[in-house]
Amino acid sequence: MGNPGEQGVPLQLNNAHGYLDRVIRELHAMRTEKKHPLVGVLQYLSDHIRHTRTELGALRPRGGDILSTTADELEEIVAETGRAANEIMGAAEAIEQLMPRVGKDVAVELLAAVTRIYEASAFQDITGQRITKIIRAVQDIEDKIDTLVGACGEPDGETGAPERCGDEALLNGPQLAKAANTQDDIDALFDSL
Amino acid sequence: MTLDKKMRILIVDDYTTMLRILRNLLRQLDLNNVDEAQNGEEALFKLRKETFDLVISDWNMQPMTGIDLLRQVRTDLKLKRIPFIMVTAESKTENVIVAKQAGVSNYIVKPFNAETLRMKIESVFKVAV
Repeated sequence: MGNPGEQGVPLQLNNAHGYLDRVIRELHAMRTEKKHPLVGVLQYLSDHIRHTRTELGALRPRGGDILSTTADELEEIVAETGRAANEIMGAAEAIEQLMPRVGKDVAVELLAAVTRIYEASAFQDITGQRITKIIRAVQDIEDKIDTLVGACGEPDGETGAPERCGDEALLNGPQLAKAANTQDDIDALFDSL
Repeated sequence: MTLDKKMRILIVDDYTTMLRILRNLLRQLDLNNVDEAQNGEEALFKLRKETFDLVISDWNMQPMTGIDLLRQVRTDLKLKRIPFIMVTAESKTENVIVAKQAGVSNYIVKPFNAETLRMKIESVFKVAV
């Protein structure tokens, strides 16, 4: 094999620690005491590169993607709070429509309370915009990690968080709407068992 | 002197919840002649097709932002005198300066309350709503 940096041999991280290991082996074969500090440093670099590749690989585990899932979850929060805000508004509008049927003093107090509900419902717009900024940041980080993973190559062996099993594997929190079973799905499944 | 309660208002925001909030708060000010658009492009289309007395617009929208809508309005001979209130979460000084330079009539930062909306509309028309 050629050496990194030689003509026609691109210098890439994904084989850098392989070259380092080869250099370390060649140094070990040399009969000089001066080799030991150099071998130590090269061994450290080789281990560090291998560890970094493994860590990067953990962000791209098989069958899932932490950052994409995070962005999806955040988008779902925006959608859920939007639905909740509209429900709250609908209830407030229903109260407002009852005002002609109550005394003037009560109507004035109801109007003030309903107005406060309308004002407070604007939270969804503000939180939505803030979360959208976070989603963009997460997507930006994801792109950069993709680039890094591409430069480092696929990590050796199994990577990522240890696979959960048993009851622990059942703790996943709320499902994204696009992936979730509806109550009808659940009922059908339940009845089929 | 009081405000014409029949004046036609165009509210512009990409969040349907915010359109609903604005419509409800305007109704409480007895301003019921309200139409809506979800972005600057849709708003400009409506402004060129119908007659409005006031525009209340968000800033951050696509495909046309509120500031682009404002600039289009101010350079259109038929529309340039329409009062234009920006209602936005963009609260940086430079945003307000840019909007002012583009000819905004008033500027409301989200979240806002009904009283602020009333005062700004009064201020634009220099009357009591």
